[in-house]
Amino acid sequence: MLHAKIIDLSKEKINLEKAESFISSSKFGASIVFYGTVREDNEEKKVTGITYDSHDELVIKSFKEIYDEADKKLNIKEKSVFIEHVKGYVGLGEISIIIAVACPHRSEAYDLSRYIIEEIKKRSPIWKKEHYKNKDSQWLKGNPINVNENN
Amino acid sequence: MKIKLELFGASKDLSDKDFLELKLSSNSSISDLRNEIINYVDKNFKGNKDFKKIIETSAFCSENNNIVSDSYKITKDQKIGIIPPIGGG
Repeated sequence: MLHAKIIDLSKEKINLEKAESFISSSKFGASIVFYGTVREDNEEKKVTGITYDSHDELVIKSFKEIYDEADKKLNIKEKSVFIEHVKGYVGLGEISIIIAVACPHRSEAYDLSRYIIEEIKKRSPIWKKEHYKNKDSQWLKGNPINVNENN
Repeated sequence: MKIKLELFGASKDLSDKDFLELKLSSNSSISDLRNEIINYVDKNFKGNKDFKKIIETSAFCSENNNIVSDSYKITKDQKIGIIPPIGGG
């Protein structure tokens, strides 16, 4: 079971309660709610916030692919996964991503949670523009998408 | 052909809008589109090297949301997304 969504912060908020509620089931004995937040330092610069941009359709497609791959690569059949990523401006300490997973056992839950965040970082078309205390801002350098893998 | 190039991430610095409108000759490929964007940077941003690097390392996304290679043929007026190097989370 998968929930995958981009949260446009100009229209709605991201919240942990929704994630916990989605994965809650007596079928599962292990649940992990991972969330990423904006931190105040990056490469010796004082960060005040991050603007996130995304190609929504491709991001949702990548979330679904990552979820499906977990069956084959990690052999985790029974699972509930909730993934939301924000789009728009996020202030210090605020949430940019939630990955909530539930599995029958803890080892699967830890593996799955880690797998999802690492794959999102590599493959999902999301971009960050950092804003700094000195009023500068810049798009962060990312990793080029591997075209062959996606064809 | 008219191409509406949707801008994402760092490529948004190429325009005040979220897109660029470009013209390509018929039977062009993604490779031709990439060259046309580089020409646009030469004309409008004095060949800004950072912008050129972004374009050279970007992927492209077709109207039906597939990442397409440089040899992909563009056969009609359409929207294409430029996908600069990524890094969310």
